[in-house]
Amino acid sequence: MLKVENLHAGYGGAEVLNGVNLEVKAGTVVALIGANGAGKTTTMRAISGMVRPSKGRVLVEDLPVEGLAASRIARLGLAHSPEGRKVFGPLSVEDNLLLGAYRHLPHFLGFRSKAAADLKKVYDLFPRLEERREQLSGTLSGGEQQMLAIGRALMAQPKVVLLDEPSMGLAPVIVQEVFSIIRRLKEAGITLLLVEQFAKSALEVADYAYVMERGKIAVAGTPEELRKDERVLAAYLG
Amino acid sequence: MDTSVIIQIVVSGAFMGLVYALVAYGFQLTFATSKTINFGQGELVMLSAFFSLTLTRLGAPYWLMVPGGLLFGALLGLFVERAAVRLALEQKSEGWILLTIILGLLGFSSAENIWGRDDHPFPTPISSDPIHVVGVDITPLEISVAVGVLGIMGLIELFKRRTLLGKAFEAVSADRDAAELMGISSTRTVMLSYALSGAVAALAGILVAPITTVGPTMASALILKAFSVAVVAGLESGFGVVVVGLFLGGLENLASLYLGSGWREAPGLLLLILALALRPNGIFGKASIRKV
Ligand SMILES: Nc1ncnc2c1ncn2[C@@H]1O[C@H](COP(=O)(O)OP(=O)(O)O)[C@@H](O)[C@H]1O
Ligand SMILES: [Mg+2]
Repeated sequence: MLKVENLHAGYGGAEVLNGVNLEVKAGTVVALIGANGAGKTTTMRAISGMVRPSKGRVLVEDLPVEGLAASRIARLGLAHSPEGRKVFGPLSVEDNLLLGAYRHLPHFLGFRSKAAADLKKVYDLFPRLEERREQLSGTLSGGEQQMLAIGRALMAQPKVVLLDEPSMGLAPVIVQEVFSIIRRLKEAGITLLLVEQFAKSALEVADYAYVMERGKIAVAGTPEELRKDERVLAAYLG
Repeated sequence: MDTSVIIQIVVSGAFMGLVYALVAYGFQLTFATSKTINFGQGELVMLSAFFSLTLTRLGAPYWLMVPGGLLFGALLGLFVERAAVRLALEQKSEGWILLTIILGLLGFSSAENIWGRDDHPFPTPISSDPIHVVGVDITPLEISVAVGVLGIMGLIELFKRRTLLGKAFEAVSADRDAAELMGISSTRTVMLSYALSGAVAALAGILVAPITTVGPTMASALILKAFSVAVVAGLESGFGVVVVGLFLGGLENLASLYLGSGWREAPGLLLLILALALRPNGIFGKASIRKV
């Protein structure tokens, strides 16, 4: 579903990624773990078009998308819930969700009725969002904003979802809630690339995992394989 | 002096103030999506007024001239975006400031070459014979200004709140990167904002032309006051520009009444200086919250 080959990218000359290879098969959850500053977020940004890759390929369902505008890639069915959530603070919860479905809704009128089924699914997953549908999303708590960012990504009926550190800055109870949501997404058959600081929890839900070090994939394997790897064990699961 | 005269003076000034508000609103539209404004907006007002005058002279009736003028303004807005703003935005440079000024100068000399330096009366079917409303004389022409200004602002605000495209416009204003991730093209949204801003400026020109006449310099004082209004009201609040516009329009008529017509422009400039010194974000704008 998503394939990344020899991806290079950086910020204004300074190269951050030097040759990333990874694959996310349809219906699987893949974890991408690694130390702070390893380049996980940059990898996601280079995939979704927020930064332009300088070299390499990104294939969404075998379609090369590297170099396209982020909005084009999103319209092709790749939903990226970015680091730091980035909800539209001055807009209501429901407007945020409706915008998540922008790629397949009519742009003038009648969008609300067409989005009704998707809205219901997201509200079933996150009842708290339904209670606060009229509230400005900037006034939500951090956990609620994270739920909104995930819900907004799901509204697109995406082929593949990128989640960048959904647990960042959240209280431990909320982190558990986030992981239980991720498990439910997995059961629903959503294709997911997950970046997480909580490597242990990420490996529990993932089908496959990559460990990133200094802009490259250092180790790859199933969670069982990684848990047996001495070096990974010491550095990330200790 | 008789109170009714003072009220009369303030009221007719306030109608002019609505035109300042409309041009200031045009600044807000492009600032929201791109954090840029067209420093040649006054020339856009003037060129659209000239174009509309030409349409009228060619025999176009009023109801056809107005949309024609708005369309022309929108196209000019798109041209400014393409020629002066887009590249600067992509390169994250401040080049748009100089480029929009240069385009304005270019527009000015084009107008002089095409239509000449003279001022031309702008014919309109709307009467300027005053009607008496609760002790004040108001002309249908003044009413048309109010209807036009509040009408177009109302329509655009409705568009932003009720359509998905309008919400996308708001999303780009709030967070351009996140909007892109929803599939919303920020380039197209910036184009839309420039087209709307151009149409709004054109309407300002059409509404004010019967009062000020049409000439290359018709908008030079107007644009300064629109700047004052935008700075005082902030670049976010549509309600704010209307309030400040009404206030400034009334105030400058009072100044010219009491201090002499040479002092007409003083309140606008004074307001601008005061606002820049005291509240750089505008009295209606939210102070920018510094994150982390
Ligand atoms: N916007 C940016 N501009 C310049 N350098 C950046 C930017 N974002 C990240 N970097 C640098 O890129 C490297 C990788 O960062 P990042 O991809 O955010 O890592 P991770 O998500 O794994 O913590 C770091 O050295 C960081 O300083
Ligand atoms: Mg990161």
